[in-house]
Amino acid sequence: MKRLPSSPSERLDRASPVSITMDGRLLPAFEGDTVGSAMAANGVVITGRSFKYHRPRGLRCMTGACASCMVTVDGVPNVRACLEPVRDAMVVRRQNAWPSVDRDLLGVFDLLDFALPAGFYYKAFHRPRFLWPLVEPIIRRLAGLGRVPSTVLSHDAQKVYLHPDVLVIGGGRAGLRAAIAVANAKKNTLLVEGRAELGGRTRSSANHAEAASLSAEAEQAGVRILLRTSALGAFEGGLVVAASEDVLYHIRPREIVIATGQIEQLPVFPNNDLPGIMTAEAVDRLLHLYRILPGAKAVVAAFGPKAQETAKALRAEGADVTIIDPKTEIIQAAAGRRRMQGVILKGPTGTRRLACDLLVVGGLGVPAAGLVPQMGGQLRFDEQIQALVAEGLPGHIRATGSVTGSARSGMAILPASSDAPGKQFTCVCMDVTKKEMVQAVAEGFDDIELLKRYTTLSMGPCQGKSCLPGSRQLTAALTGTTIAQTATTTSRPPWVPVSLGVLAAGSHTPRKETAMHDRHVEAGAEFMWAGDWRRPHHYQDPREECRAVHERVGLIDVSSLGKFRIKGEQVVTFLERLYPSRIGDMKVGRIRYGAMLNDQGVILDDGTLCRLAEDEFFITTTTGGTAGMEQWMRWWLADWGLDVQLVNLSGGYAAVNLAGPRSREVMQRLTELDVSAASLPYLASARGQVAGVPALILRIGFVGELSYEIHVPSAYGEHVWDAIMEAGREHGIAPFGLEAQRILRLEKQHIIVGQDTDALSTPYGAGLNWMVKLDKPDFLGRASLLTPDTEERLCGFIIDQGEVPPEGASVVHESRPVGRVTSSRWSGVQQAGVGMAWLPQAWAENGRPFEIVFSGKRSTGKVYLEPFYDPKGTRLRS
Amino acid sequence: MALLVPCPNCGDREFSEFAYGGESNKRPAPGAPSRELARYLFFRKNVAGVQVEWWYHRDGCQRWLLARRDTRSNLIEEAYWPQEREAHRR
Repeated sequence: MKRLPSSPSERLDRASPVSITMDGRLLPAFEGDTVGSAMAANGVVITGRSFKYHRPRGLRCMTGACASCMVTVDGVPNVRACLEPVRDAMVVRRQNAWPSVDRDLLGVFDLLDFALPAGFYYKAFHRPRFLWPLVEPIIRRLAGLGRVPSTVLSHDAQKVYLHPDVLVIGGGRAGLRAAIAVANAKKNTLLVEGRAELGGRTRSSANHAEAASLSAEAEQAGVRILLRTSALGAFEGGLVVAASEDVLYHIRPREIVIATGQIEQLPVFPNNDLPGIMTAEAVDRLLHLYRILPGAKAVVAAFGPKAQETAKALRAEGADVTIIDPKTEIIQAAAGRRRMQGVILKGPTGTRRLACDLLVVGGLGVPAAGLVPQMGGQLRFDEQIQALVAEGLPGHIRATGSVTGSARSGMAILPASSDAPGKQFTCVCMDVTKKEMVQAVAEGFDDIELLKRYTTLSMGPCQGKSCLPGSRQLTAALTGTTIAQTATTTSRPPWVPVSLGVLAAGSHTPRKETAMHDRHVEAGAEFMWAGDWRRPHHYQDPREECRAVHERVGLIDVSSLGKFRIKGEQVVTFLERLYPSRIGDMKVGRIRYGAMLNDQGVILDDGTLCRLAEDEFFITTTTGGTAGMEQWMRWWLADWGLDVQLVNLSGGYAAVNLAGPRSREVMQRLTELDVSAASLPYLASARGQVAGVPALILRIGFVGELSYEIHVPSAYGEHVWDAIMEAGREHGIAPFGLEAQRILRLEKQHIIVGQDTDALSTPYGAGLNWMVKLDKPDFLGRASLLTPDTEERLCGFIIDQGEVPPEGASVVHESRPVGRVTSSRWSGVQQAGVGMAWLPQAWAENGRPFEIVFSGKRSTGKVYLEPFYDPKGTRLRS
Repeated sequence: MALLVPCPNCGDREFSEFAYGGESNKRPAPGAPSRELARYLFFRKNVAGVQVEWWYHRDGCQRWLLARRDTRSNLIEEAYWPQEREAHRR
């Protein structure tokens, strides 16, 4: 094969030569070539070996519909050579052969077909039973397609959402015309086309100029065109998913036009898989788009008027062409070993053999209607025109062009059968032959669904696109039914192949780091996930960190807290309704603990409120609750229509908690503010400079010691961290992580919402009765809290015998679970295991003994209703 | 038939940018009978047809809106701010 002279129809850029490597051989090509056309231009006829019998295979459809030409490209297996554009220095390997595709010794399986009957997996190597595990790996190696790469292939893919008025699927003549019409009607129109060029079959015909003018017209009309982008499937809510090599499109159009055209089927006759047997469309595409003459001596045995056009085009390029009428002369067999050498024809006057290196078949197109059933339509086989017809599509979806079946030539898909020797493939992907189907039907698998599962028919890479209609017809003939009675299998997404990398596009796991993250890394912190945040779990032994907080001073990064400023004339009204606590009586500068409830009275989240001014508050939420609480607060603001502004400052502020008996001395070194107990007592706040940076200081503490929560603009987070660590050095400051914080707060019996509470926990059960002010006229949860729940109570407990039970362990009474442990740790101050558990309300009295069971072990403990550490809170308030 | 939410602030947007707030249903006034409270808290109409529901433009303008959606076709007929709900009541 040689490259033909330039033509206006070609899609090659002859000024841009590229070269690719195929099995170590350098193949020159042009920009615009595909891997398949580059192979053809260099005389490569065999593109790979077949799945089971290792038979040589070559280019057949040139449209990506069949799987005959799959190769490995740059390590990616099973790429369709006929559509894959060449890139300079691309490395191509042909698949499934040993030692090479041209001399494949595994081709011996072609002679051993008697050992590979239909239903092979159900018949062979079953007894003795030990045999199968030994044989299976060998079979898997010998059969199959490309090898899955052993290294990770990096693939950057993105996800794009599109909302056109009209989506046109398919950029052939019918699709272009439809797109132009709707775009001219001022509708926002999107057209997706799987190939690299528009125009479909018109583009690769003598009428290629028409395709070019339609494409230009579509562009003029403002149609947005996505090439090399195929619709994969239709889903709930009118969603159509399409994919290109590196973009996954989620398209939600108001209307859809299906113009997916038709797919040429392969007629069944002996050796119908030989390289050199091509569809008329493949020949047209090689000739017109890539300027390659696929054979010097051709036999054209295609149905319909297109056969004449293809024959004419071949002749025009100097091929010796014989046209036969496949209605009167039946193909008995193709002859040749590694490629076409001749064809045997049987006509009314006898049998003849024609030498040829190209056999053109075709005119056996069936609608490419796989998306129709997914979009709510049906495919019915019309006996009159012998074709599948799309019916019953919803009003906003239309089908146009040859996908509707209207363009069919009216020929049966399979020519009359041949009884000549040689394999007749009904499914080329999986190497299923007509003989196997006859055998399977004889064994009783006489339904297309059963045949599919028994023979693996249509289960290969083309998913039945190029074999199922013919197999249906054959099944009908073998079982004595009509095609209409032979139900077709359902095509499901993806209708065209898509890489997993593209499907994974747009899935991101957020990872948030605080402003001081690098300092934690330098300090050797072990990190843990806290929602989307990476937070230090510990820097050293957590018990040492606890000791530092109790005895000296510790510093923890609490930047991940949710932080909001709320301001407005009606801010008090808003917060009074949002929280069960009283808010209006708070003095400016004061702080109050608050929990937000839903209308069932269930605790959603907790944090602190600080009154910054008469009409302004600063509130914090838990790390994990930030997004949900913002949504919650905005919802009620919207519903109540209050004059209040809410700003989420969570990312804007970094925050630390400086805790321990010496924290005041450290603070005093960092600020001019008076931080004495008299000026800045417990639950008071101050605003001023800390380490030269504007800061909000809150005298609150989760860990039970004198402590200061310091909020500063995030940009200064690292600076403030450094300054505090420096100022605290002489006091023996130590950073502490979440584990130490959890031990310390548990020793104070401070709850963690979501860990110690669940979707049924009210303030009554959680021991927060004091915050519920039922005398307020209304707040979220009030109506439900008017009826107190009395069933369960969250209680502290101390273990007197046995191990510390894990969180989630059951509290057991008379062999029945009556409660559960929500938090538990070893307490350094108690020198015992301590925790919190939900217990029957009646058990909530100091010293009540109970039993905890976990993984076959048991511990006994006692209820302990006050903090394990500093029960009077004098250290916290100091 | 597309599940597009016509945000009054941002225009037509993919529904996945939004959080769904459920059927719009009136919170009982303080002192309402407990039957009314239970209906508000636990019962949904679940209509096959047009209903008004809450949507929050989480990945957009972060505002709550009310949308009139046909649950059979997923078509949102209109969306508006809660303070305009009287004008849109049918």
